[in-house]
Amino acid sequence: MMRLLPILVSMSLVLPVLPLGALDWPVKDRILTGTFGEDRSDHFHLGIDLGGGEQEVRPVLGGELVFRYDEGDSYSSLPRGLGSFVVLHHSQDILSFYCHLQKGSLGPIQTAYSPSDRIGIIGDTGHSDGKHLHFALYDEEAGSWINPLSILPPLPDAQPPVIKRVLLSVGEQVQPLESGATVKAGHGEILAEAYDLREDVRFHWPLAPYSVRFSLDGKEVARILFDSLLAIDGKMVVGGTGLTRENVYRGEGLLRCGAVELRAGESRLHIAVRDFAGNETVRDIPFTVAE
Amino acid sequence: MAFSVRKKRPARVFFVALLAIILYFGLFPYPLGREIVARPVWSVTLPDPGALQPLNPPSTVPAPDSAKAIAAPFQLGDLFGYAAANGDILHAEKTLFRVALSQAGFVNYTRLGTNWILQNVRGARVLSFSGYGYPLLSSDGGRIFIVKADLSGLIELDRAGDVRWSRDFPAILTAVSVPGDYLLVGLLNGTLLLLNGRGSPVYEHVMGGSRLPVILGAAVSPDGSLAASVSGVAPQFLTVLRRQGTGLAEMAKEVLASDFRREVRMSFSPDSRYLLVEGEHAAGIFDPAAPRLAWLSLPGGLADVSFPGGGRLTAVAARDGTRVELRILRPFSSPILTETFTAQQLFLGTVEGDLLLGLDGRLLRIGLEAL
Repeated sequence: MMRLLPILVSMSLVLPVLPLGALDWPVKDRILTGTFGEDRSDHFHLGIDLGGGEQEVRPVLGGELVFRYDEGDSYSSLPRGLGSFVVLHHSQDILSFYCHLQKGSLGPIQTAYSPSDRIGIIGDTGHSDGKHLHFALYDEEAGSWINPLSILPPLPDAQPPVIKRVLLSVGEQVQPLESGATVKAGHGEILAEAYDLREDVRFHWPLAPYSVRFSLDGKEVARILFDSLLAIDGKMVVGGTGLTRENVYRGEGLLRCGAVELRAGESRLHIAVRDFAGNETVRDIPFTVAE
Repeated sequence: MAFSVRKKRPARVFFVALLAIILYFGLFPYPLGREIVARPVWSVTLPDPGALQPLNPPSTVPAPDSAKAIAAPFQLGDLFGYAAANGDILHAEKTLFRVALSQAGFVNYTRLGTNWILQNVRGARVLSFSGYGYPLLSSDGGRIFIVKADLSGLIELDRAGDVRWSRDFPAILTAVSVPGDYLLVGLLNGTLLLLNGRGSPVYEHVMGGSRLPVILGAAVSPDGSLAASVSGVAPQFLTVLRRQGTGLAEMAKEVLASDFRREVRMSFSPDSRYLLVEGEHAAGIFDPAAPRLAWLSLPGGLADVSFPGGGRLTAVAARDGTRVELRILRPFSSPILTETFTAQQLFLGTVEGDLLLGLDGRLLRIGLEAL
């Protein structure tokens, strides 16, 4: 039951907004190659990426065209890294985004889309390093981006996330934090390289986990849950936390687990990383803090 | 006697009629426009973009700034560059993926690159900078921005390439206008923002009145006194705003007949007197002083716009397939010149107030003189 709690919580947030089960995946072959909330160098990933080669893209739900851009064809006052893309408006002011579509595959303008209509074909237009669909959901009323996995039908996944290493950063110094380690007392920051993998991606392709929890000596230090992202005061933050990308990531695939005050004695760090399907990996690290 | 009477009456009638006509035109004068003569000044054949590869590395010695004054940017398909007033091509280059082009310089960038070079109108290196996303320059070339790849935010860099400010927006960017000191951005959720030099909003308003809110076009006048947007779906609105203090205040709102679901072209004339806005197979000219909006029907979609004569004239090009129709007109009057071409590539610009016309590998300067 505990494993399902985050999913149930997120579903309860989403259920009043869109009829769950009414949505379908935008592509037939669903190879998840990018998850919500990932670090994309200068921004959070605001949607999910779906590979699977050139495929037809269809609306997740019937909707109305709000905006579209066809790379190299449409007028634009700004460069558009989303490449050729289409935005549909659905009931309850939910918008769906279908990006990096093949140039010229958008077809003639149509204002109303049913789920069986073709929006375009997966491509690699814009700032894309391979053919994929960037799919995103935006709640206009809340002004936030929603994790699409919380609304789309479940995607089977039995592979648990990976906690590759845990580090302690004190000033400029970064040292591995392993069971039995001895560290100096004082202020520090816990970092972790943690990611999710999927069995349907045959090569090493780390994805952002859905949630990460850290606690020190039984007291929760940080909790990150990628359910929503929204801009507050000009900064994109994780919904419900106020954490910016710089607060969450430190480059090189490292998650920032929060600042800690290490006092002399025995301590225990607990890290729990979960993917959206509910698979969880936990690591407990007992260590000694010396004066 | 009867003969003489018959002769005098027509003379009197003619005299009275003549007097009435003179009086009429004296009392109700109709200003007749001066004749405009279009005169080709020069025509140059542009280099074949394919022949320009491999690209010459940019010179590390910046060319003198005086080059900016005589350089007119052009872009025809994947070829861009700068033409001097006398027809010399100061620089021509093939786009790597896209080009951020301004009056003072350009950034030619690749699709996935993160290191860029700002070059001046002669191709000399001005600045190297890095970022993720794509570069954008203000029209005058004085400001450098990076548009985040997912359109969620903007970053402005200083002249050393360091971040001046960074801002994430609550919805994706749909339109941007930055002629110089003023930055107007439009968002997918219908929000229009005017940002100051530190990236902070001095005006923020959700354009309402439509079933679906969205900003489809944004323009700020070169002098910063006016701003405008096309917004919404069902109905679509043209909203014109006037500077009031540091912010903006609505001065006119017109319901449009269009049903665009994409960005529309709109721009102010260089003298900030008129606004040109794209309609469906039409171009609208708005005079904020009147205020009034008039539509010019076009035989195709609006393909490009420029304002020769410092804004006294408007040149619009409409495209229907490869058929291009060029019309030059004074705002709120009938076209004074209409020409039809067959062309794949088209560009309209200005050089020293004359029209710069690009058509399939050729660039023409057309002088427009009032007699």
